[in-house]
Amino acid sequence: MSDRAKKARGHAGATTGLFLSGADGAISSVLDLKSLSARFRKSLPVRIYDNLHSSESINAVRSVVREERLDSVVLAGESPLFYRSARNGDLLLRVLQEEGMNANRIAIVNLKEQTALPHRATPLEATRKASVLIAVGIEKARLSHDVGMIEVAPKKTVAVIGTTSGGIYAAQRLLERGFHVAFVDRPRQEKATPASADAMPTLAYVKNHPHAVFHVAPLEELYGYAGNFRIHLKGGVRLRAGGIIVAIGDDLAYTGELYPFLRLERSNEGHFRTIFSDTAVTETVNPGIFLIPHDTPPASVIACADSAALSLDTLLKRHSITHELFVSEVNQEICGGCGTCIKTCLFHAAELDPSSKLSTTNIKRCVGCGNCVSACPTGARDQVSASTEYLLSAIRILASYNPPNGIRLLYLLCEGCGYQSLDFAGREGMEYPTSVMPLSVRCAGRIDTQFIIEAFREGFSGVVICKCGDDRCLNIVGNTDLDRRANLFRAVLDSRGISPERLRIFGVSNCDGNSCVRGAVDFIEHLRKMGRG
Amino acid sequence: MKKLRVATGHLQGCFGCHMAILDLDEDLLSLLDSIDIVRSPINDVKSVPKVDLGILDGALCNTSNVAVAREFRKKAGKILAFGTCAAFGGINGLRNLFSLDDVLQRAYVETESTVRGKVPSSPDIPAMLPHVRAVHQEIAVDYELPGCPPTPKMIRSVLKDIIGGKKPVIPQKNLCHECNRKHQEMYVPKREFVTNAVHAIMELDVIDPDRCFLEQGLICMGPATREGCEARCVKGNVPCRGCMGPTTGALEQGAKMINALASILPAGAMMFMEDVVGVGYRYSLPVSIYPYREEK
Ligand code: SF4
Ligand code: SF4
Ligand code: SF4
Ligand code: SF4
Ligand code: SF4
Repeated sequence: MSDRAKKARGHAGATTGLFLSGADGAISSVLDLKSLSARFRKSLPVRIYDNLHSSESINAVRSVVREERLDSVVLAGESPLFYRSARNGDLLLRVLQEEGMNANRIAIVNLKEQTALPHRATPLEATRKASVLIAVGIEKARLSHDVGMIEVAPKKTVAVIGTTSGGIYAAQRLLERGFHVAFVDRPRQEKATPASADAMPTLAYVKNHPHAVFHVAPLEELYGYAGNFRIHLKGGVRLRAGGIIVAIGDDLAYTGELYPFLRLERSNEGHFRTIFSDTAVTETVNPGIFLIPHDTPPASVIACADSAALSLDTLLKRHSITHELFVSEVNQEICGGCGTCIKTCLFHAAELDPSSKLSTTNIKRCVGCGNCVSACPTGARDQVSASTEYLLSAIRILASYNPPNGIRLLYLLCEGCGYQSLDFAGREGMEYPTSVMPLSVRCAGRIDTQFIIEAFREGFSGVVICKCGDDRCLNIVGNTDLDRRANLFRAVLDSRGISPERLRIFGVSNCDGNSCVRGAVDFIEHLRKMGRG
Repeated sequence: MKKLRVATGHLQGCFGCHMAILDLDEDLLSLLDSIDIVRSPINDVKSVPKVDLGILDGALCNTSNVAVAREFRKKAGKILAFGTCAAFGGINGLRNLFSLDDVLQRAYVETESTVRGKVPSSPDIPAMLPHVRAVHQEIAVDYELPGCPPTPKMIRSVLKDIIGGKKPVIPQKNLCHECNRKHQEMYVPKREFVTNAVHAIMELDVIDPDRCFLEQGLICMGPATREGCEARCVKGNVPCRGCMGPTTGALEQGAKMINALASILPAGAMMFMEDVVGVGYRYSLPVSIYPYREEK
């Protein structure tokens, strides 16, 4: 085995705290939280609560953070998706940050959707697996460094994409509240606007408003973040907007055109969708971008427009918006300026520094997808949200779980699709073997082939990569680049006597738990036939 | 000033690294003012005397190599793993892709020129190790100098540092940094590859001596290879084959190259070369994450 320099681990004098949630019975009825606590109590402060989102537990966490002087925490309970999809689900995270904890030092371990729910029939094994997942979370909290932040003074202009009724109503609300509105729509063959007759008077109001402008041109570029988006249109128009409302109805062609710029999640039919239709009617995965969903019934369009306008009003009236720089970093001691990352990054965020002739990251453009990190042949690039050191270490820790069926599967899950689909499977009550060991990555493009071979070296029987379906990658080419890398790499696996059949790639959509889970069962069967396990 | 006592030893390799010491030419004479080479394959002393510095070239391929390496560790204050074979296993490492039995069969029985061959089995012959290993995988190594062989310039500077009591620093960036070829497409973000025409080097009548090989559709290992060799091959209008090994931030030179190529050249590029593994791991397989073929 190749030896590697053992790096000094973690932060000197750092204290990580572990908070276990019973999820109001969903977790505590399956996992033995007491034994989990006993296992970790030796090395760090541990607390168990019935849940992690009631005001009592949030206050309790706050005081533990103070008493124990924690500088990082592991929240083991609900899925990380809960924190963003439930309304105010992120309250705990905000409180922790108020206490001075950096966003990158908060690790979330999914005990509910990816352990307790799918493994409720085998509580003992589920608890053993949970303990491994918690160890990965602790590693994440310890190895991550603080993420940098910048303050943005929000622009008081909102770009409304689509002159539909929803867009017009929202614009009217915003204009009345003192914002400027810039409409953007694509050139249409037919003269008629896609808005309903009822919206005509409002359209007239908007058209006559001195603070509204209309642009009909395709998008050329869109980047930036909540508070300060830059939008370039073909023909030379350059817009700056604090927020964006997408109101394009069910225009699928336009959706496809906008997708690479907006990077919003799409439904199976291909329409943009909000985070969670029950709780966040117009909020999307991209902060600052709001959506009037295509299937909003006419009677609710006004309500959606109100919701989007109110949210933007609240956001943009703030004095400043803090933006966390979850980007890709370059170690210029190692970078040789080969240009691979520049060629690879379709967000135009990897740039050549003209003076040093080395690569740098443009923080206004970088979405932190990590594709350049995989691509960088020297290891000069790293991802702030999940460093290469952490991911390799996580793979080693995950490999320490010995499942009863003897067949260990590493599931590398793209956050945009695979992670969600596995969560979905759990929520839908699908059960699958505990030997599925999940590791989430920002994007399939972040999957370095080194991770794959590390997994096999560590004894995984099979590696599964869940990536977004063909034209669904939130990061434009992450899934394509992963495909190319992994498929070229099959020859390398073969050369080491590792059958390439032990690597499978699933193209999944975010609410397709079924294919993810059935895939595991199938694969385990296949591996068993191959004599693994 | 007291001279530094030095012993050099040869493990498994082509002796090129020792030859490279001789390539220091007159610099060698001035070096000899500050070092005493008390033992080397050239003066043919068999035992290893006590020295300040032991320089080992070559990889560990058989039990004798291991014994020599251990002896050096015992007798030398500091150990320099000298050259790519010593640092990464080098070319020898490619045999890790086959079982030892297959390797011996091929070498002693199946080669086309062999008549009634037989695998030698005398107890006097050192036994082959199942897998080739780099020196640091057996003994603690203080300094490493890659290169197949290292350039005289690097040898001089590393020895000067050691003589001066400093830890030698070797460059960390990739070869593209010291390669002066021009980039155009490599600096343009786009979905398409830098070129769709991929070639084996002997297919081309003309190779542009000033433009990055990758942009001409030729596989160059420069991006995944440590700099320091003064880009000798590239200057000779031949793409880099990666002999300086991976950079500090990479664990598998071949894997990293594949990651990079995915967005640079069509997948067919590597397939076309028909030797993904030979291209990517020619010099560094034994220090990779998975350093040999798993026996079933
Ligand atoms: S590839 Fe992704 S992480 Fe890298 S610079 Fe571009 S946007 Fe940022
Ligand atoms: S790919 Fe890596 S080494 Fe090459 S320019 Fe980018 S950061 Fe530098
Ligand atoms: S590193 Fe190269 S030159 Fe040195 S012994 Fe090995 S094969 Fe020969
Ligand atoms: S890839 Fe090769 S030719 Fe191109 S810049 Fe790098 S070392 Fe030079
Ligand atoms: S150009 Fe590449 S193959 Fe040639 S000497 Fe340098 S590192 Fe070795």
